[in-house]
Amino acid sequence: MRSTGPVIGALAAWVLLMGSLLASLPAGAHHSFAMFDFNNTVTVTGTVKEFRWTNPHVILLVNVPVKSGDPQVWSMELTSPGNLTRLGWSRRSFKPGDRIQLEFNPLRDGKHGGAFRKATLLDTGQVLTSNLREAEKPGLK
Amino acid sequence: MRLHASASLPLALMAFALASHSIAAPAPAELNSPPQARDWADLARLPDWSGVWTFSITDQERRIKSDPVPWKPAAAAQIKRLDAAEEAGNPKGLFVNCLPEAMPSWMLITHNALEFLFTPGRVTILGESDGNRLRRIYTDGRGHPPDPDPTFHGHSIGHWEGDTLVVDTVGILPQTYIAVSEAVGLPNNGDMHIVERIHLVSKDVLHDDLEITAPHVLTRPWKTTRIFFRQRARKYDIVEGVCLQGSFSESTDADGNAVFVPAPQTEAGNFVPPK
Repeated sequence: MRSTGPVIGALAAWVLLMGSLLASLPAGAHHSFAMFDFNNTVTVTGTVKEFRWTNPHVILLVNVPVKSGDPQVWSMELTSPGNLTRLGWSRRSFKPGDRIQLEFNPLRDGKHGGAFRKATLLDTGQVLTSNLREAEKPGLK
Repeated sequence: MRLHASASLPLALMAFALASHSIAAPAPAELNSPPQARDWADLARLPDWSGVWTFSITDQERRIKSDPVPWKPAAAAQIKRLDAAEEAGNPKGLFVNCLPEAMPSWMLITHNALEFLFTPGRVTILGESDGNRLRRIYTDGRGHPPDPDPTFHGHSIGHWEGDTLVVDTVGILPQTYIAVSEAVGLPNNGDMHIVERIHLVSKDVLHDDLEITAPHVLTRPWKTTRIFFRQRARKYDIVEGVCLQGSFSESTDADGNAVFVPAPQTEAGNFVPPK
């Protein structure tokens, strides 16, 4: 049986982190995207950990392998489910375990977050993008 | 239907009693009359605004430069600081609390689709975020209430001038932002009055010409326009958009129920991935 020590330690750290975050948190997340560095595009290969299909911003969590140790979790932010639906997405566009190549504009503060630009599902070759500025005209199909 | 004499006498007495009483009582409540067949038929003569209307972020940004907001000096100094913070990548999140973008920012900076519903005596605008946006514009000839309760979208009355809907809105909360982006804007600080002229400029392009009077923060009424594009593909149908949902994660409680639990976020509103 595995030792529970590290688990409890990790749990305690998580509870402390949650506590400190929640204590100072605003209620929601309808935010500007100015915290992302749009002059810098990063490409990584990873595995989908979670796909949160919710307003106001859809979130894609990706496990990105590192040279040693556990993979890093990166959080990609997108526009709303409604807007993504019109760009051809659905809540089933990604599922945990999907291998993807991901392009994003990283957070300027160096944390593991980014504004999603493009993903290619490596097993099917399907490409997903999310640029609303390419949909600024009437009568879109 | 005729009433029997035995029934009509007490009714007449009751009517007399009510009439006598009303001399000293306030005016009877105004009623919304039931629409007649002609009222429904009249709707067919209005311009066709059916479909879903999408927005142009590019044009929203361009208009901020072409129709700059006439901020008062004290307001302009605050805007300069907000611009600098946004430029530096540390944006003030005007809407991270998920309160409505409200008037006039919904019309000014929306990144979400909207639709119009015409019913007798009213135009309703429905949107897709904030926990589902809604403006009721009364077109039945009524005026504004003398002392409306301030609300996020205010009290709107409208009338048609040809194919243009002219909307007059007052009674807006002083806290609602006049926003030029999701990170730059100031509360209107009260006494705001908005006049909009909403009209088609071509078959599938709609303009909202706004004139925003906000005497506490603007030197003069700000005139600007926002563009909307008609979509008829069904994938554009408006969907539910509850802003606060993103502040929660799906979970299961001790009894096995599907529940929401708070999700960690940064102060800027970014989702914090689990470690």
